[in-house]
Amino acid sequence: MEFDIRPYNFASATLAWLILAGVLAALGLGLSLVLSVARNGKGGIAIFSSGLVGYLNDILSISPRRILALTQLTLKEAVRRKALLVFVLFAVLLMFAGWFIADANERPELQVSVHVTFLLTAISWLILPAVMFLSCWALPEDIRIRSLHTVVTKPARRLEIVIGRMAGLGVVTLFVLIVMGAIGLFWLTRRIPDSAKSALNCRVPVFGELYFISSEGQPQEVGLNVGDVWAYRSHILGNSRARAVWVFRGLDESCLTRNAKGEEELQLECRFEAFRTVKGSERSILQGISAQYTLASNPREEAFGMLAQSETVRPFADALRDGQYRNASDRLKQLTERMRTAPGELRPADYFGLHFGLLVSGSVLQYKKDPRLDDLAKLLMDASTAGQAVSEAQRTVENGGNAEIPYAAFADSLDLIAKALVEKSSDLMEALPRLEVPLASFHVAEYHDGDEDSTNLTRVPRKLKFVADYETLGRFLSVTVDDWNGSGRLLEGNAFKASLTDDLVKEAKISQLNAERLVEVLNEQLSGGSLVIDGGKLKVADNRSWFVFFDDLIRREALVSADTQGWMIERDLLNDVAKNGELRVEVACINDQMYLGMARPDLFIRKADQPFWAGYWKALINIALMLLLIIVLGVTVSCIVKGPVALFFTLTFFIVGQFFHDFMLRKLDGIEKGMGTVESAVLIAQHRNPEVGMDVSETAQNVVRAADKSLEGVLWVFSNIVPDFTIFNRAAAFVENRFDVPLGDVVLPAVVVFIGFLIPCILIAGALLKFRELESK
Amino acid sequence: MSNAVIEIRNLSKIYRDFWGRKKVQAVKSLSLDVMKGEVFGLLGPNGSGKTTTMKMLLGLLFPTSGEMTILGKPASDVSKNERIGYLPEESYLYRFLNADETLDFYGRLFNMTAADRARRSDELIEMVGLGKARRRQLKEYSKGMTRRIGLAQALINDPDLVLLDEPTSGLDPIGTREMKDLIHQLKAQGKTVVMCSHQLADVQDVCDRIAVLFQGELKVLGRVDELLELRNEMQIRTTNLSEEAMADVRKVLEKHNVKDVEFSRPKADLEQLFLRTVRESGERPGRRFSTEEVAASGKGGNV
Repeated sequence: MEFDIRPYNFASATLAWLILAGVLAALGLGLSLVLSVARNGKGGIAIFSSGLVGYLNDILSISPRRILALTQLTLKEAVRRKALLVFVLFAVLLMFAGWFIADANERPELQVSVHVTFLLTAISWLILPAVMFLSCWALPEDIRIRSLHTVVTKPARRLEIVIGRMAGLGVVTLFVLIVMGAIGLFWLTRRIPDSAKSALNCRVPVFGELYFISSEGQPQEVGLNVGDVWAYRSHILGNSRARAVWVFRGLDESCLTRNAKGEEELQLECRFEAFRTVKGSERSILQGISAQYTLASNPREEAFGMLAQSETVRPFADALRDGQYRNASDRLKQLTERMRTAPGELRPADYFGLHFGLLVSGSVLQYKKDPRLDDLAKLLMDASTAGQAVSEAQRTVENGGNAEIPYAAFADSLDLIAKALVEKSSDLMEALPRLEVPLASFHVAEYHDGDEDSTNLTRVPRKLKFVADYETLGRFLSVTVDDWNGSGRLLEGNAFKASLTDDLVKEAKISQLNAERLVEVLNEQLSGGSLVIDGGKLKVADNRSWFVFFDDLIRREALVSADTQGWMIERDLLNDVAKNGELRVEVACINDQMYLGMARPDLFIRKADQPFWAGYWKALINIALMLLLIIVLGVTVSCIVKGPVALFFTLTFFIVGQFFHDFMLRKLDGIEKGMGTVESAVLIAQHRNPEVGMDVSETAQNVVRAADKSLEGVLWVFSNIVPDFTIFNRAAAFVENRFDVPLGDVVLPAVVVFIGFLIPCILIAGALLKFRELESK
Repeated sequence: MSNAVIEIRNLSKIYRDFWGRKKVQAVKSLSLDVMKGEVFGLLGPNGSGKTTTMKMLLGLLFPTSGEMTILGKPASDVSKNERIGYLPEESYLYRFLNADETLDFYGRLFNMTAADRARRSDELIEMVGLGKARRRQLKEYSKGMTRRIGLAQALINDPDLVLLDEPTSGLDPIGTREMKDLIHQLKAQGKTVVMCSHQLADVQDVCDRIAVLFQGELKVLGRVDELLELRNEMQIRTTNLSEEAMADVRKVLEKHNVKDVEFSRPKADLEQLFLRTVRESGERPGRRFSTEEVAASGKGGNV
């Protein structure tokens, strides 16, 4: 069970529903017309038409008052026929359940999980049979004892009878569910031991997208497989360049929580799998494997990551990703040189990888709409086109065709990029800034003792203090100085403010030693002429940007201060690191020869917890919707068949929808392997296995497969007619695992599915009852 | 404009099995009209098709062929039910409701307001004599009481057309008499009543016209008084005659060539006897009546 349910696509779901409803309505009406004509000859058309008009008239003249009367009748029936005795069973279960499910030695979250699972299962499985029986038996029993006859001989439309029955049973079910839910919640809060009460909450996760960077620095969809048959988690190798990278989007203030001191922080919760290739000491085994988060904002990774796909091109790509544009230019020139002199040394895959990587890089840079990047973006796109021409020509030759492969043109276009990289290196550094904030390492335990929580919760303060690398420092200083210069906090007349050092310590949150060194260097540069004061503002003499100015100083190691900690700076998590609400969290495994296994839901941002009851009631809403859907199905089927048959049908719908719906979809999508029904039957009859196939003529094989294909059509219809009941179970799984239930992605789809079945079921049930002879012998 | 409340033309009904094979033809080409304000009886032995016809009129069954209109609307039109009251053969009511709730429920199906429902319920419960049992659930009712509440629900909407299926079935003679009186009352109010019954005496007492069905076919249709009139016989009714007077009368009749002259005392029917006995028993509890006393009282007189 995953808890990072993908957003529900209402538009496509609605469209699919409309198409299916339309097709089924057309089929149903067509079949009715054919049957009417078959039974009544030419008059059948008139009978069909008048029946259809009459039914439409019934729909339009529905009376809420009559429906309410029928609803209340059902309520009274349920109460007076002792349907509410289900409460007694529930009470008995709750009284004795504690004996069997409580285990005070278990971990707190498991204790909560066991109790919640029991409670929600007990509630749904106690009401389910009662609801199924009531819905399947109510109308047939009314027909059998003919009490319905007295109703239909009044002006009550049969459609109203159906709606009234469904509504009445629905209200009874909701009442029972709400009472049971309230009693259950009370029981739960009393039953959970005090030691586990802290786990009785609902975590609110924000999930991100996951990709991996291999040990060679190559971006990949999945990481390593350490031999697990279950490929749910991918692994990264310890002490290497391998990273698992989560990208969280849409971060804002609501994602932050406040600690006891009232400071804002971001909670990162993870549950990774530790995989060990060497035994190590007992201590290290108990301690687990070390991992480390790095919060990163690296647009270069996004822009140039795809170029690293090809091994030959990777040095060029790595240099770009590291922001070493001159180095990258050199690497590219080496590549074009090889392309010109010995183009065959590069594999076709290299050319294609280069073409594709350039296309992605060009597109990403274009998308940024930054004038400093426009020229390079165009060159990248042009080169990609040239690369495509090379790849296509190579393919033509490979297929035996005749074509001249334009290596030279491709090399020329790449040379233009190499040249631009040198010329634009400063612009690129400025436009594609990287910020990396390494966080303290933590342990991923392999074994969990007693009441220890197996999850890791890391609290990241909003005000991040960290030792800046050269690039980050350059950016920090350039932004700070530019900002202060603009607001007049830098100068006093023709000199720096006397209080500048103190101000920097206080407001820019840098250490005294570093502030002193910065002011010293600025003074040196001013007196040396690199900086000038013009119109009361400080300027770089040769019109270079502040970033380039400081970058130059840092490279010349002019800013090294006496502070042994280095340049500890403070940045804002939301405004500086997670720009535009996007946060990259890189996870590295620190221990050599060890692996960490991860899947997308293994790391999430944990927002402020919701109270347990919030998620609990949302789970009950989903259970209620499931029960209501069963009522709708039961009443619909019971409009045409007797109670036991209706029960059989409804039970079948439930079992198939609950346990085999996914199988049907997988079978239709071709994910589920295996023969078709007829082919399997032939194989069984012939005592043969699927590998050797059927021992029949080719024509017979074609016939069998055609039959299977048409049966697949039937399966498709079934997969759309039978509701996917698992949609209704998801919410419970969230609460059982102490997650809040997302309304939009879990509750709302259940509501939509329910309504999607409710409308056609009411119409079908109304029609079935209207055109049914209640007295037929 | 036609005065017919019900018009049936060439109505046929064939019951079929699951596979569509014919099982039995319950009604064969039935055509008849029921006029406004009359009490119409459908007669026939079991399986003659009278209940099937009534159920087709109500839309509980669909005709195999033919046409029906009720109050000017096709039988399949539910809105016709707004002016119809129906008492089924057995009162198929919700047994977990009490009398008040039953009438309230059916009243709501007619979209009646709460005040109208309450007023009408009171009237009907009073009329059918269930005042003391109105709060008891129907499952506790005797058969007669169930028929009464069944009748009350059929009249909840003050219908123009009342369909009664075996209205006196399960009723004691008093109840039967009351039912017949009620049918007369309905007729007096200008309502049309259609009833089907095996109780020929009841039909004879209340119906203006009857139709006799046999094996799904209409065999007889006409006014009751005309159908039952014995045109070749004459009946003279007087007070007690002496032996001499009887001899003289006989001679006079023989002189006119009248044969098969018979003198006898007329007999009260059992219903009248029963009703009288019950009434008198209420007035003089603990007394038993001799045959002579009963006979001496004369028809319609007191014991």
